[in-house]
Amino acid sequence: MSDFAQTLITAIAIGSLYALIALGYTMVYGILKFINFAHSDIVVLGAWSSYTLASRILPKLGLNPHNPESVPPIWVAAVVLLAAMVFCGAVGFTIERLAYRPLRRAPRLNVLITAIGVSLLLQNVGQLDYVFGASPQKMPPLLPSWELASFTFGEGETARRLVIGLVDVVIFATATSLMLMMQYLVFHTKLGVAMRAVSFNTDTAALMGIPVDRVVSFTFVLGSTLAAAAGFLYVMKYPGMNQPAHTIWVLLGLKAFVAAVIGGIGNVRGAVLGGFVIAFVEQFGAFYISTNYRDVYVFTLLIVILLVKPSGLLGSPLREKV
Amino acid sequence: MVGTVSLSTKNREQKSELRTGNALLGLLPIAAGLGIATLMHFFLPGLIGQFYARIVTDIGITIVLAVSLNIVNGMTGQFSIGHAGFMTLGGYTAATITYYGSMFLWDSAGKHGGFLGSGEWLFIASCVAGGLFAAFAGYIVGLPSLRLRGDYLAIVTLGFGEIVRVILQQTGKTIDDVEDFKNAGWAQLIPPPVGGAVGFDGVPKYTNLFWVYAVLTITIVVAYRLKGSSLGRAMISVREDEIAAQAMGVNISRQKVLAFVMAAFFAGVAGGLFAHERGVIISPKDAGFQRSFDYVIMTVLGGRGSITGVTLAAVLLTALPEMLRDFEQYRLIVYALLLIFMMLVRPQGLLGIHEIWNFWQRPKSSVKSASPEAQV
Amino acid sequence: MSPPATTSSAVQSADALLDVDQIGISFGGLKAVQNFSLKLPRSGLFGLIGPNGAGKTTVFNLLTGVYRPDCGQIRLGSTQLGRGKPHEITAAGIARTFQNIRLFPNLTVLDNVRLAGQLRNSRGLLDTVLRTRGYHQEENGLREKALNLLEIFELQDRAEELASNLSYGHQRKLEIIRALATDPKVLLLDEPAAGLNPQEKRMLAHSIQQIRDRFQVAVLLIEHDMPLVMEICERIVVLDHGVTICEGVPSEIQNDPRVIAAYLGGGLEEN
Ligand SMILES: Nc1ncnc2c1ncn2[C@@H]1O[C@H](COP(=O)(O)OP(=O)(O)O)[C@@H](O)[C@H]1O
Ligand SMILES: [Mg+2]
Repeated sequence: MSDFAQTLITAIAIGSLYALIALGYTMVYGILKFINFAHSDIVVLGAWSSYTLASRILPKLGLNPHNPESVPPIWVAAVVLLAAMVFCGAVGFTIERLAYRPLRRAPRLNVLITAIGVSLLLQNVGQLDYVFGASPQKMPPLLPSWELASFTFGEGETARRLVIGLVDVVIFATATSLMLMMQYLVFHTKLGVAMRAVSFNTDTAALMGIPVDRVVSFTFVLGSTLAAAAGFLYVMKYPGMNQPAHTIWVLLGLKAFVAAVIGGIGNVRGAVLGGFVIAFVEQFGAFYISTNYRDVYVFTLLIVILLVKPSGLLGSPLREKV
Repeated sequence: MVGTVSLSTKNREQKSELRTGNALLGLLPIAAGLGIATLMHFFLPGLIGQFYARIVTDIGITIVLAVSLNIVNGMTGQFSIGHAGFMTLGGYTAATITYYGSMFLWDSAGKHGGFLGSGEWLFIASCVAGGLFAAFAGYIVGLPSLRLRGDYLAIVTLGFGEIVRVILQQTGKTIDDVEDFKNAGWAQLIPPPVGGAVGFDGVPKYTNLFWVYAVLTITIVVAYRLKGSSLGRAMISVREDEIAAQAMGVNISRQKVLAFVMAAFFAGVAGGLFAHERGVIISPKDAGFQRSFDYVIMTVLGGRGSITGVTLAAVLLTALPEMLRDFEQYRLIVYALLLIFMMLVRPQGLLGIHEIWNFWQRPKSSVKSASPEAQV
Repeated sequence: MSPPATTSSAVQSADALLDVDQIGISFGGLKAVQNFSLKLPRSGLFGLIGPNGAGKTTVFNLLTGVYRPDCGQIRLGSTQLGRGKPHEITAAGIARTFQNIRLFPNLTVLDNVRLAGQLRNSRGLLDTVLRTRGYHQEENGLREKALNLLEIFELQDRAEELASNLSYGHQRKLEIIRALATDPKVLLLDEPAAGLNPQEKRMLAHSIQQIRDRFQVAVLLIEHDMPLVMEICERIVVLDHGVTICEGVPSEIQNDPRVIAAYLGGGLEEN
């Protein structure tokens, strides 16, 4: 019972991270119709820039970043998160400007290849010695390791504890509030209308006087800031950080993309739904079957969904105009 | 312009030279390739030394992978980024067959017999089996995703490679002892014990220049003959315009699956060659996307659909890093910039859709813009 | 040649080659085509007209399987096409051209035609790779057939050029040749005269009739050029906002007030 509940809590926390990342994929896909492969690297960038910043700030406060007992005041976490979001937003803006915008009219395959190029570039520049380096690091703790609630089930040998940590709550709360802001922005603001118009038909939107380039830029900035937040939150939960080009990161991004596809690519609510579906499948698969194959469950689910409902859970089928 | 349409009823005389079929003539290029492969096998190591002979072997395997990937990515215009997954799957299949097959047949996992001896025949048969298994996996994975829009295939193939990697990591230690193997029950052999995360060590090292270049010959002949045939035209039409292709009666799903399965087959065979290469221990991480990206980059750089272009790119991108080992850190950065740069300035690749010899022939495409009809 | 104005549709339906019964489709809320019916006789030459956005191209897309009709039946000869895939419908005998030219730009002119000609080709991978006698026979046959077609349309000199290098007029012509190469029973032409000059249009009108006679195909023609349509079509169907507003012989259409209203209201594009 407690194991089940623990898995549930993890699934919710991880699911909200997948959802955050999936939003970036889905927005870019909705507007430009290509998979932004470099999106997962923005998540990595968010994580690693958080690390870099935190390990610079903490000593100034007289704290040892490598001592897990030293917890800084809560504003440090907020500052690091914001800084990472701003920085990644700027990087996202730049990438779109330099690499993707010149290809606006190019075949989709070319943009996809470019995105892979950008992804490789970010990964391997990140691994250079004078950037983040090619060895794993440990994220200094920025949140107190409070246990908000703790239950014990059973007695003696078989006793198990269920813990709801502050981290899980912070992840869920931050991710949810960011997603609600997104939701408001897309469905209740003029900018959101413009985004949806561009996503519906770029040429028509341009004819109607919508500044397409600005909307696209904004979409990238928005997606990148969400990715940065996801990266930050991820290393709050799992402080052992792998080097930037590590497969773990790519898989994280890939699963988030799968979440977007499963939810219905281009659909904002679908991305959120997909994020949670993926996390549940992964976590409960790991719990009930075997941890070793957690990625296998996700991709199997993807193939099943593609077979049964190719446009995703909430997506509507696309018909190419001939 | 649209034709005075004489619509004459008389049939035109056959002016085009007709090629008549002759199965023996058709085998000529393959025979020539095998001859060259034999010569390379016996004389090249002596001429250039073991180190460079090894690089030439690597290059051969890489060309097989790049040229086969090009059938999907270049000719058919789909986008697979899990080629290394198929390679590794084939490689493990082949290695399992030779390793345990040798134990079964000859009581030892070591090499058996000399050039073209029974050991080598087991080896090449196992490579073909690896190819078939990879092709089967390609069929299972490709069927759902190829029916959808192109970039889903990218995700599914990428995921496929990772799944292969994860699954291979979970396998057990190889059985080194012949007696242990012969006494092992089915429970120990399924799933096959192929070394887990550390890789499959102890595979007999059969791969040599002859077999690599024999496989390469067949791969290139198949790719080239495909390109010039009705089947190849149908694949290219899928790349050019799916809607128009369908309207001309092309079953686009079938063409995509066929291309994909063929590519997976050759990747599997190449994986067999790789797994049996001296100095190589095939391991789960070979299935990862990093290696797949290497082959994608070769097809993009060489030119989408150009067999010679992709071959050239495979040679360059295999040889260069070997020469520049000190710059390993920067290799992938250079690749990345190359990809981005190519898409910005020359998206069709070095040779575009052409073969290298097309550049010697009379240029046909530059004349007509001057012709009077251009104003219409 | 053209049937008298009084011919009842019952007579036609008996030997209609292409029998379209009440097909329709909507995109989201937009009913692009509703209750479209048509009986095209063997070797008939019918016109499909209507203002821009009326749903004419959509009818072609429905007939060729690019879109699946929400409802209705399509029969060609004795085969029910219904919800077949586009390539199956082409193989059954309906070929088309595209309003916005869709050649294979990086294939040669010859290859564009050969590709279309090969749909009943039976040679598989093994024949292809081994270059068997059968393979050569089939490829030679294809080549001859394609060159023949190109010669009929006087494009044989451009056979080895890339399709993208042809002039606009030649590209339109190649679209028709390519469609004919699939050996169709019914040929759907989507605005083949768009962008041509008056003299070219005249020649096109003439050749469409000749194509019909020589290749024994029934033709359904979408065209904005009224004089052209009136001159060569035996019957005309008028669409507006996805609905068939009128059908009849040219003289009936010309004077039908509904047609005039549709065009005035819809704003006929002047080519
Ligand atoms: N795939 C599609 N998705 C949405 N709307 C479509 C699609 N195809 C056609 N339409 C709409 O259907 C209507 C009819 O279009 P069309 O058949 O192209 O007209 P035309 O008579 O000019 O050929 C138009 O309003 C067009 O926008
Ligand atoms: Mg139209």
